Amino acid sequence: MKSGLIRALIVGASCTVTLVSTAAAQRIDSTRYDGQALRYESYWGSARIIRGADGPLVGTAGWFRSFDVEKLVASSAPARAEARVYKSNSFRASVVGTIGATAAVVGVALSANNSNNATTPILIIGGLGAIAWGAQHLHIAFSALSRSLWWYNRDLARPQLAPLPTPVPIPARQTEQGERHKDSQ
Amino acid sequence: MSRLTPVLFGAQLLIMGANAMAAQVSAYDENALRVESRQGNLQILRGIEGTVVARAGIFHPPKVANLVIQSDSALAEAKIFERDYEPGQWVAALGIATLGAAIGASRISDINPVIQVSLYAISFAALGYGGNRLHSAYGALSKAIWWYNRDLKR
Repeated sequence: MKSGLIRALIVGASCTVTLVSTAAAQRIDSTRYDGQALRYESYWGSARIIRGADGPLVGTAGWFRSFDVEKLVASSAPARAEARVYKSNSFRASVVGTIGATAAVVGVALSANNSNNATTPILIIGGLGAIAWGAQHLHIAFSALSRSLWWYNRDLARPQLAPLPTPVPIPARQTEQGERHKDSQ
Repeated sequence: MSRLTPVLFGAQLLIMGANAMAAQVSAYDENALRVESRQGNLQILRGIEGTVVARAGIFHPPKVANLVIQSDSALAEAKIFERDYEPGQWVAALGIATLGAAIGASRISDINPVIQVSLYAISFAALGYGGNRLHSAYGALSKAIWWYNRDLKR
């Protein structure tokens, strides 16, 4: 009778401990996601990386910006690999897109001034072609960034595999820029 | 044997707890959404396999609300996306068409300059307005997916 009572107590205690520890682990997991998970919003060719649903702007990447996405997602290996794809394609898109836009604007300006000659259509068509090529690479870059952040957020759910990401020092210039943007909104 | 019973039972419960955690991680791997762009077309992909679950057509948005219906916050953002995406695309397209017309008009030598200026003004205004609506739509889509993926872990 006595041993039966002890057995029941042990079983009840272990059941309670398991349930409580599982719930606590889930709560820690949710808190990690709420506080750390990243997302991005495209903004005129750049990517604004934001922590949380309405959280702080971590940085703005793209269009000759120096913000290092790879460093931000360094805690997850697949996220880092995708961040490298983002970086290379974003740079190509920035260079070719800017050259194309400049050529197209010069072409339109020449055309508007009635300085019609053979170079005007070449500048406009060539410029638009370069913009299209740049846009294509920008799409590839944004897809890679999306995958990178997806992997990073996914690995937040694995505290036993990935340590809590160390806070990335945000460059002062980016922070000021983020605050300026926040103020303007 | 009787002493072993509670130990075995406790171990079983711990395994159950570990399985619950693994199931939670698996829910993210299998169901978490992300946005990608293929050939300029917006697509929503699910899970580690990257199954395409929705894609945007010409001038119509992907049905995001149906995908994220399980999460209230995500659903609210998805509705904003669906509200802003289509008008944003139409007005931006109007802006591009008007810009084309303005460039074409500039090549006609005896055209009234007021028409030229008006066409450029309309095109830039339309591009600005459409761009802002699209920006609002993409922002809402980003939030919708963030909320949905977050709620997978609850």
